[in-house]
Amino acid sequence: MILYVNHTRREAAAATANEIVSTVLSLLGEGHLEPAQFARLRIDLDWVQYKQNFREPVMVTRESGQVPGRPSVTELHIDSRQIPAGSLRESLRCAFSNLNSEDQCVLARVYLEEFKTFRSSIAWDFNRLYWHRLKDWEQASGKSYEAALPGGKSEAHDPGAIADSVADFWTLLRDLEVQNQLPPELFILEIGIGMGTRAGLWLDRFRALDQQRGTNYYPRVRFLLGDYSQATLDRSRPAVSEHLELCSFIVLNALDPIKTLSFLRHKILHIHLTNVYDNLPDEELVRRDGHIYWLQVRAYLSAADAARIGAECGVSAAELPKTISRLLEIGPECLADRALGVTLWQEIWKAVRLQEQLVDADSLPSSSYPEGLDASNLESMLRDAPSDLRFHLSSGALESFRNTLPLLHPRGYLQVQDIFVTSLGDYRMGFHGPGKLDGSIVNWVNGVLLREVAERFGYDLHFAPFHYRPGSRASVLYTTRRE
Amino acid sequence: MNLPVLPTTVVGSYSMPGWLERLKTEYFARRISRHDLDEVHDAVTKAAIKDQEAAGLDIITDGELRRDNMIDYFVEKLPGVQIDRSSKKFYYDFYDSEVVGKLPAASLGLVEDLRFLKSFTEREAKVCVTGPHSLVRRIRNRHYPNEAAFAADIARVMNLELKELVKAGTRYIQIDEPYYSGFPEDLDWGVEVLNALVEGVEAKTAIHICYGNRYGKPSWEGSYRYLFPRILQAKVNQLTLEFARRGGEDLDLFREFAVPFELGVGVIDVKTQAVETPDVVAERIRKALEVMPAEKLFILPDCGCFHLPRPVAFAKLRAMVEGTHQVRKELGS
Repeated sequence: MILYVNHTRREAAAATANEIVSTVLSLLGEGHLEPAQFARLRIDLDWVQYKQNFREPVMVTRESGQVPGRPSVTELHIDSRQIPAGSLRESLRCAFSNLNSEDQCVLARVYLEEFKTFRSSIAWDFNRLYWHRLKDWEQASGKSYEAALPGGKSEAHDPGAIADSVADFWTLLRDLEVQNQLPPELFILEIGIGMGTRAGLWLDRFRALDQQRGTNYYPRVRFLLGDYSQATLDRSRPAVSEHLELCSFIVLNALDPIKTLSFLRHKILHIHLTNVYDNLPDEELVRRDGHIYWLQVRAYLSAADAARIGAECGVSAAELPKTISRLLEIGPECLADRALGVTLWQEIWKAVRLQEQLVDADSLPSSSYPEGLDASNLESMLRDAPSDLRFHLSSGALESFRNTLPLLHPRGYLQVQDIFVTSLGDYRMGFHGPGKLDGSIVNWVNGVLLREVAERFGYDLHFAPFHYRPGSRASVLYTTRRE
Repeated sequence: MNLPVLPTTVVGSYSMPGWLERLKTEYFARRISRHDLDEVHDAVTKAAIKDQEAAGLDIITDGELRRDNMIDYFVEKLPGVQIDRSSKKFYYDFYDSEVVGKLPAASLGLVEDLRFLKSFTEREAKVCVTGPHSLVRRIRNRHYPNEAAFAADIARVMNLELKELVKAGTRYIQIDEPYYSGFPEDLDWGVEVLNALVEGVEAKTAIHICYGNRYGKPSWEGSYRYLFPRILQAKVNQLTLEFARRGGEDLDLFREFAVPFELGVGVIDVKTQAVETPDVVAERIRKALEVMPAEKLFILPDCGCFHLPRPVAFAKLRAMVEGTHQVRKELGS
């Protein structure tokens, strides 16, 4: 058996690790685990920082199918933060019995889908519903989504960060003007605009700087506010009310900005996103003993949660999966009592878990990889990475990134403020999602993959810690052109 | 060989396959040998030749797939230029290079490339070379008093090579000078150097000027107005420009100035994978015909197809040829 401690919280690790080893040996001695299984068993000890997440305290991840000549992978994931005191032995016993048969520990679940890649899971339908029906969620929970963020407010609005962003942009314009290359219209794009606060503050600051330096760039600015929700765009107008003549409000999909803005190809001088990538559809890959596996998931509710929620909302256990499908399709109106529909939504979201399985990557079509990445260039990227690794593919972020770069003017740059993993080794020292943030999903973004893909597109990526707020875990990605 | 009206050709490079990019990078990581890479280059060059023929082009190149990029292929061959071979991580990266003494005259090896090309095709063969101005903008000068002098010396060495190419049977030579667009202030001496480069070269010479195609995106933006009137002093036969991506606005310059050259008109946008229809191509050609008579017009993509996936590159070239056929019919030829 190998025990991996994937976090650096000393006390939590020490207590749980000791208990795990002695409990597993005891269960082995009692015949709950075959010696051969024990020999191949891998236990990952995590500390999941997101209070709301998709995991049971003890979770079994097995390989789907068997590759001839290769022992199948079996893993246990234990969340040392969640595991209730005194429950480890029973949880492990249950997990071991699941290794051999589908017994009642597994069957006491209501499955909401078949196994599929995380990106295709209904978990993302919940995420989509949250952003489209944000007002309903906020009214029911009594707080805005920004108040639900770590720290209680968005880091996008930090005045110091905005001042630096404005100064950088002004410097670019100055350089272009000196070289007689300043375009007549100065396009800026912000994708994922929230309440428009950052855009408003940015324009205020830019106008002030421009006036102070007498450069008269401000009237030439064309500020594009892009979001996939018209309701969000409408809510952002007041924040930029003083600059409306410079602003355009554009419905666009963050995964494919060039589709909407193709008329601005190679024209935009600055593109900014805050906390968008961490909320784009994602997938995880696992490398074990030199082989790559895709992680597939299956959403479920525990039978107990399903019974409780069903009773609370007046939905029978048998009807629950169908009612959830309707919820994701039409929203809280799936129940005659809309308020009860919101309750159903919030309770299901809180209770939904993801069962996992590993699928050998060689058995899947090459089209499983996002555009810009394939098995062979992934292999070369992983050449110097730890041999055993579970990491995010950040396929949504990669897609967005790829479909944003063509908008950049030859001298333009992209800035993304988000939570990034900048070294693959970090995946073995902390949990990086998925977690639940209010009604949405949060995943750290694989900055290493982004950096590799960016190089192929002619950009170097740099990650700078977001130093404007002490203790922030965010970084700022910015691009520079490769020569 | 007689060419039809509106001859079709490429700017130079053909699609670089992803697997070849990885192989080239493996070579720089010393995981495959030069011999193996040369064999691979021969094979892909033959394929590029056949694809251009199948697309129906009138004048073809070798696809330039032996070249890592437009600079290093020449930097490696220019005698007297020193290279830091450890400076490449990815094959497409530029070498760090510098010149520390006067360039001696020597072969650049382009004649071998031409012979290879001609041995696999009956079509007209074109050779494209990176011009001295673009080269001096990438090679650190530690010897010459200024860039103009350095470029002039490169022109001296390359001129000999161009004459050898003519002897070996090419009738079409293209000089690539995209860096003009990034350094318009160099144009005065750039044109002088260009004229020295082509002096006595008994072939149809073209100069290709675009806005860069590094990683499939432009390196600069602006207008071709900066070229005029200085470029009119260039002693070349043809000016080949990028029009498809940028729209035809700059075509008006050819009304404004009495241009002594043929025009190579870019009708395929190589910076997008969206494939043009023949109708779109035909329309672009018709626009060019408003400022230039058919007998002085050549039809090309905006720049090399290097960054396009092979099926896309091929489809674009097919569309270019079909669109050209449409216009030829309209012209009655």
